[in-house]
Parts: sequence; structure tokens; C-alpha cells
Amino acid sequence: MRLTQLLCSSVGKWSKQFSNLPDRYIERTMNQVYWKNPKGSQYKPNTEVKRKKFRFSVHRPWTAQFRQQNSPGKLYKKVFVEPIKDWSFFRGDRVEVLVGPDKGKQGYVKQIIEERNWVFVEGLNCTLKDMGGDKKYPGIYVKMEQPLLVTTQVSLVDPSDLQATAFEWRFTEEGDKVRVSTRTGRIIPLPASIEETIDYKSKATYKEQPKDTLADDVSEVTFQPALKTFQMDIMESMDIKDERVPLKTYWY
Amino acid sequence: MSYVNLIIKRSISTSSIREGKRNFKKFSLHNKRGSRIFKQMQAENPDPEMPIDKRGVRDVGYTLNGTFYTVPEMIPELIVPDLKDFKLKPYVSYRAPEIYQEELTAQTLFDVVYAPKIKKDHTENKLSADGNPMEPSVQEKQTSEEAWNKAKMTGSELL
Repeated sequence: MRLTQLLCSSVGKWSKQFSNLPDRYIERTMNQVYWKNPKGSQYKPNTEVKRKKFRFSVHRPWTAQFRQQNSPGKLYKKVFVEPIKDWSFFRGDRVEVLVGPDKGKQGYVKQIIEERNWVFVEGLNCTLKDMGGDKKYPGIYVKMEQPLLVTTQVSLVDPSDLQATAFEWRFTEEGDKVRVSTRTGRIIPLPASIEETIDYKSKATYKEQPKDTLADDVSEVTFQPALKTFQMDIMESMDIKDERVPLKTYWY
Repeated sequence: MSYVNLIIKRSISTSSIREGKRNFKKFSLHNKRGSRIFKQMQAENPDPEMPIDKRGVRDVGYTLNGTFYTVPEMIPELIVPDLKDFKLKPYVSYRAPEIYQEELTAQTLFDVVYAPKIKKDHTENKLSADGNPMEPSVQEKQTSEEAWNKAKMTGSELL
């Protein structure tokens, strides 16, 4: 169990969810160790000089663009992010945009960047980016969604009347934690694509590939406990008979 | 309380060398190491002091008067079990449930091997007054010495 704080713990859970990447990979790609103690007992205590403050933006933390933005020596002004206790905006949630030219329009959450309290709503709050232009070629315009702040710029939509609403996390009688619209009291259910990743839409609907062990084969119990060691089991299966008994030993 | 060892003896310090500076500046440029020009020169006229680094893998024969003779017996034969109808594959499907298995302890082994007979005897009242079975099985008939000898036979893990 590592006592030092992991780098990838600064990356939000819902930011990593869709990528389905293991934590140790994200850490490995984010790691920027500038100097490390040489190996040897005379070089204790162990010191590691590495980057601790990262600038989180549109690029995912394991990408090359993130690494370029956070290259050694690059310092950014601290971005103040309102700490949210319970993150409540998931992929596939129906939300209404409250600011900008798309004010009043509703759309579905496409991407989450928890570190900046951002969500990207599909097709809304877009800008046109002139990309690929040089002296001869005029370039093309690419329409890209801009991030929206979860706290102020976006609001959940009540499924009963499809209007923007404030909400609260409450417990049902069964004990489940749910989002409840404060205006109507209707439960805002979690979207179906909450557990969606780049590899599967949901674990239950995953299509098994040729190199995958089937779920039934994994959970099948084939082991039968028997009173013999591994070697004795092999001897029995290979019909090796050895009746020798070792000589008696004595303790003095 | 600390005592000073007054027995004077000479010793050699090995820790100073073991933990000492080992960042030597010369590295062997074998195989794919070295610049392009160096590797070209090695291909035409290999330096005898820099043979091909086999990384611990042994040759499958011997060299005699400049020629290499392969010895078929030296070629390793990999015995791999027949994986026909083998259901386990390299990866696990995402659909597989979380499996929690308890530790296999001596208690579990006892419960599987001996406990059923003892339970049966108890319910059918086939245990004598002092708790011994009236119809002992093969394992129950063993004496302590017999059981020990059996446990010490080939394949034993008693060391």
C-alpha cells in the first residue's frame, strides 16, 4: 500500500471512467521525475523531485498534448475550482445550457472533466476552429464543443416536464442514493451510459472476442480439494508408484 | 546497556566497495548498440574483443575450425500440453463476475476429507462412548506412525 499520494488521484474518477485505462498506466504517463536518488544505502532518505502541479484542460492526462502543456518548466497560474462533494453529471445525462448562444437548449453530456468541473454537451456551446491552414490551402473549419462549468453554466433536466431544475441527492426508502429534483420531487435517474467505456457500452452487453475467456468458464469451479500435495497428484495422474518410506529421524 | 567489544580483530570492509561509485564511463557496444557508422564497421570487420552478446542463450552446437556444427540434441525441445478444448484464454471477458474465493486452509481440507464421515457416524450413533468410530474408514484405522510415514513419502512437503 503506497503511502505517497498517487498522481492519478488528482485525476477525477469520472474523467477516467470512459477511457477504461488502468490507474498505473495513467500514473506512468503523467509521471515526470526530474531527479531521483541513486540506489545505495548511503543515499537514504529516498528523494524524488517530480512535478506535482498539473494544468488540467481539454486534453486527457495520458495524452501527448497534456504532456506538452505540462512539459518541464511550464508554470501556470492556479485555476480555482469549486470543490464539489458529490459529482452529479454523468455521461448521457440530459442537461440544459444556461449561458452562451445556445442558452435554453438541451443536450446530452458527452465528456466529463472533473478536475475543472467541466462537461461537454453534445452539439451545444460550439465554436468553429480554423484548422490546417497554410499559405496555399485555406484550411477547414471544425466545429468543436466548448466546456461548460457544472456549477453555474449547466443544469440537469427534470424528466417529467423536461425543464431545467435544481436537484439534491437523497436516499430512497430502500437506501439507494438518488438525485431528486427540488422543484417537482421527481427522481432523476442515472443515465444508462454511466458505465459506458470506449471498450463496451455496458459490461453485460460486451461482445466476447476470440481471446476472451467466457464469463461462465471463469466462474466455473473445477478444483476438488484432496488430501495430497501437488507432487502426489502428478504422480497419481502419471501412474508413478513410489512406495519408499524415509528412515526414521530422531531429535536429540 | 551497551557493551564494547574488546576483542581486537582485523576485518575487511566490503560495504564501501559494494555501495561505492559504480558509474563507470565505458560501456560495451555490442549487438545493436553504437552509432550507424560503428555498426557498419562491425558488420564488415568485427572487432574480436567485442563478440556478439548472446545474452546468456547457449549455442545449439559447437564451432570447429571456423565452421559451426549444429547438434540436434542441444536444440531445446519445448513440451507444451495439448490445448485442444481448453476453455481458458489469455484475456477475461468483461462480463465475468467478481469472484471471491476464501483461503484454502487445513480446516477446509478436513471439512472435505474427514468431516462428512464423522458427521454421518454421529447422526447414526455409530460412535462409541469415547467418541471413536465403530466402523472406521481406511484413514481412521491408521495409527499415528502409519499416517506419518504416508505423509513423508515422495511428494511430501514436510521438511
